Amino acid sequence: MRNTLLIAGNVIKDAARKKLFYVVFLFGLAVLGLSPLLPTFDLGVRAQFLRDISISLTSLFGVVMAVVLSVNLIPGEVDMRTIYNILSKPVSRAQYLVGKYLGILGTLAIILSVMALEILILVGARLSLFTPVVLEGVLAVFLEAAVIAAFSLGLSTFASAPINVFATALFYLLCHVKTGFLHQKLMEGAGGLARVFMWVLYYLLPNLEDFNVSQQVGYGSGVTLSYALRIAGYSILFSAMFVFIGYLVFKRRDL
Amino acid sequence: METPDDVVDLRDITKSYRVGFRHARREAVSGLSLSVGPGQIFGLLGPNGAGKTTTLKVMLGLAFPDAGEGTVLGRPLGDREAHMRLGFLPESPYFYGFLTAEKALQLYGRLFGLDAEVLSERSARLLDLVGIPRESHLTLDKYSKGMLQRIGIAQALINDPELVIMDEPSSGLDPLGQKEIRDVLLGLREDGKTILLSSHQLSEVESICDSVSIIDSGRVVIEGSLSELLTEPGTTRITLRGGGEAAGAALAPLATNVRRDEGEIIMDVAADDAYRALEKASELGLGLVSVEPARRSLEDLFLEAVRGDGP
Repeated sequence: MRNTLLIAGNVIKDAARKKLFYVVFLFGLAVLGLSPLLPTFDLGVRAQFLRDISISLTSLFGVVMAVVLSVNLIPGEVDMRTIYNILSKPVSRAQYLVGKYLGILGTLAIILSVMALEILILVGARLSLFTPVVLEGVLAVFLEAAVIAAFSLGLSTFASAPINVFATALFYLLCHVKTGFLHQKLMEGAGGLARVFMWVLYYLLPNLEDFNVSQQVGYGSGVTLSYALRIAGYSILFSAMFVFIGYLVFKRRDL
Repeated sequence: METPDDVVDLRDITKSYRVGFRHARREAVSGLSLSVGPGQIFGLLGPNGAGKTTTLKVMLGLAFPDAGEGTVLGRPLGDREAHMRLGFLPESPYFYGFLTAEKALQLYGRLFGLDAEVLSERSARLLDLVGIPRESHLTLDKYSKGMLQRIGIAQALINDPELVIMDEPSSGLDPLGQKEIRDVLLGLREDGKTILLSSHQLSEVESICDSVSIIDSGRVVIEGSLSELLTEPGTTRITLRGGGEAAGAALAPLATNVRRDEGEIIMDVAADDAYRALEKASELGLGLVSVEPARRSLEDLFLEAVRGDGP
């Protein structure tokens, strides 16, 4: 565990060196930039609008950061040969991969926490309102970003960065439309190979729409504890599965 | 021939990679066997693309052989327990650029579970050893190639390893740096460590290695103790001072090879003719500098091994 955490810590330090944490300033600017667009209705509607766009923006930033952090982590280390200095030490490939993943999660957690704080401050400053419900929305964004990071990291054990970005974008899209588009196509009774393909996609891909709680956060009702636990379990399950698939490839890969 | 004490023992290792657009397989190592005994400096030599780096990667579990097996420090290839007891310097090493030299050594040391006190003392000593200022706040992305090489050597020694594997240890170093690293390696051997180095620097290998394996096209073509490989059995080398072209010509019938070098005549004679050659030299009024078993250079041996050139 010690080595896993050391590797995770290093990912966070590397993100800091690459100035990835500056993204929180961009986020703050984006929310500030959008806030003049607030409708001039009553306070409740304005709060709902601000919470909604804030969480949507957090989701966008979270997903992009998950991909940016994951996509080149392993190919970069292999190209730069920094990986040799780690794996020639008593560090297993599983420790290495899990350490990298935990480092990505740690970085995402820091970035999203600051973003949550920014939303709280901005909503408080604009509407004199304390809305801790946004924390539930940011947590859901984190859980979704964790799945995407796991998918992208797993893919990075064998795919180049451009292919990974494309595949992760496709994954993100399919996982968001599966309950709508894919389900509809399955119900329409497409036949043959197309049906098998859609069936596989429908049942194997996670439903990322489950993590979309911007409406509940917008209305201020938030999510129930049981729902929060369910999406947390869902995120852990799929993240573990993608990291494990990545490990199966990585453990026999020549470096 | 392997023995139970061998620190490294590879048997019939074959490793191929897929290359090119059609992913055709190319063998980097073909049925290679290698044994490295304890307490010696062992040189792995070969031309570019001979399979040296692949062999080291297989030893370290960074690449997986298609066939063959082996042990390092008595453990299977890539075993973490063996990694606890070895150090590795990759060719042209790179490090996390955001770390200082001291922080990098501490990171690598912590991967071995070294406690803070031991790590602090050891990293300070190693930085001194490789000539890097320990209080430097310069991050590694600002280091020159030679300085990175020095850090690479220091990190390979952070766990006080029994076996040190180095891929081109002198790469990027100036002559002074190369001399310093040679001294470090000799010091490690004095401490009972085993060192396996891959190198293109034949003079470096000749001056410090006890044994070598020369590999070409993924196979061992020559191996053995350096003194045995370089000694020409039954031939004596006599070095004489003084004389000119005429003296050289007078000695030529007794010698298999005569050459002049900076005022000296160096002649190789059959061991049975050594006394007659010395008498003749005395008659010619030449001064005796040395008499020793004839040796060929490692370069001659290397060229003979990889190109079939004789001296």
